[in-house]
Amino acid sequence: MNITGPGIYFTIPILGGIRVTQTVVSALIVTLVLCIAAVKLGKNLTKRPGRMQVITEKGVTMITDLVVEAMGEHNRRWVPYLAALFLSSLLGSLIGMTGIFRSTTADLSTTATWAVMTSLICWYQSIKNFGLGAWLKGFTEPIAIMTPMNIVSEIAQPVSLAFRHFGNIAGGGVITTMIYWALAGASAALLRLIASSWIAVAAVLVLGGALLLIKKPKKLMGKALAIVMLALGVFGALQKLGLFESVPFLQVGIPAVLSLYFDCFSGLIQAFVFTLLSMIYISNACPPPEEAGK
Amino acid sequence: MEGFENFIGLNPWTALFMLCNLVIVFLVFKKFLFKPVQKMIDDRQQEIDTLYAEGEAKRLEAERLHADYSAQLAGAREESARMLREANASAQQQREQILREAKADAAALKEKANADIALEKKKALNDVKDDISSLALDIAEQVVGKNLSGADQNALVEEFLRDMGDLS
Repeated sequence: MNITGPGIYFTIPILGGIRVTQTVVSALIVTLVLCIAAVKLGKNLTKRPGRMQVITEKGVTMITDLVVEAMGEHNRRWVPYLAALFLSSLLGSLIGMTGIFRSTTADLSTTATWAVMTSLICWYQSIKNFGLGAWLKGFTEPIAIMTPMNIVSEIAQPVSLAFRHFGNIAGGGVITTMIYWALAGASAALLRLIASSWIAVAAVLVLGGALLLIKKPKKLMGKALAIVMLALGVFGALQKLGLFESVPFLQVGIPAVLSLYFDCFSGLIQAFVFTLLSMIYISNACPPPEEAGK
Repeated sequence: MEGFENFIGLNPWTALFMLCNLVIVFLVFKKFLFKPVQKMIDDRQQEIDTLYAEGEAKRLEAERLHADYSAQLAGAREESARMLREANASAQQQREQILREAKADAAALKEKANADIALEKKKALNDVKDDISSLALDIAEQVVGKNLSGADQNALVEEFLRDMGDLS
């Protein structure tokens, strides 16, 4: 088992070596997919929409409503940026499920860039809306002694954003790797145990067959148990005959269920959390026009 | 694979590339997706609003016209009834007048006729009186054989006439 960062395909030997990593390739694909989809969906719009246009409009309206609800009507202009952030993050996470490409968000460079981007927008907007003096003065509030704390929290904001997203996706990948490794080990150990004697092989086969044919289990767990026992018997017999060695048959099934959480759910939630926090930070820096004057 | 990055590490080139990607996706989304779609939604909303407003205006107009025509129809009906009534009254009046005039004419004619008759009768009587008096004179002359003096004659005539008048 080895846990590494994104793999490097090749290095462009200029400017001290530009490393073309898995992240870069995945991000390129995500960007292309998003741009092509956006251009395609935004083309040939009609007043009487077709099926695709209805879905597009629904999506656009949903994102817009979400942003307007969280940030206020005056922050409508941030919708495209937040949508780009959300979809880049979501697709960047989900592309890891292909097995060929690595999730872009499992690279700290990616999430850190996005987080710093959000922070830069916040700072720029704060200075623009409140003035440099008022923004700097904001660090000394509520009392002057809090200034170092405020500065730390301002820096912690992008750091926590970046590490939360990176940690969840990369952690998911690490756990998946570990589970594969553990399941391979468990398969090998079980098979070695069974293949030690023909009696064990026969016992497991008979037990599995009996469970499946005589008891006829209605529940999924019972069926799964019977099938695992049969597989154990079959692969044990094959190993005993010297045909296969340590078939990792336990890797079938279990990782799929876990992938549902670590890839689909986690990817969606992290994209949502990242975008929502960005929204909140930016909307703090962009108060409604009537309050900005105060 | 040439090798691997650190698990937790920052690669400035990757970071720059990701920044470019985000900016590109943002710009493309803004220009090609959100702006046209939002514009289309707004346009459609506006068109719907316009159509509804127009429809409402048309409905109000139709209602107004309906009320107008109803009022006009009622007015026309009343007018015609009034005209009919007036015509009836006028005809009645005319008939009565004609009748009255005819009656008056008839009465006048009758009166004139009566007067004429009376006049004729009087004239005829006078003629008869004259004839009779001259006849009586002739007879008397012949009887007396002499001419009576004017006064005598007149006296005689008067007397005779009185007798005649008594007779008649």
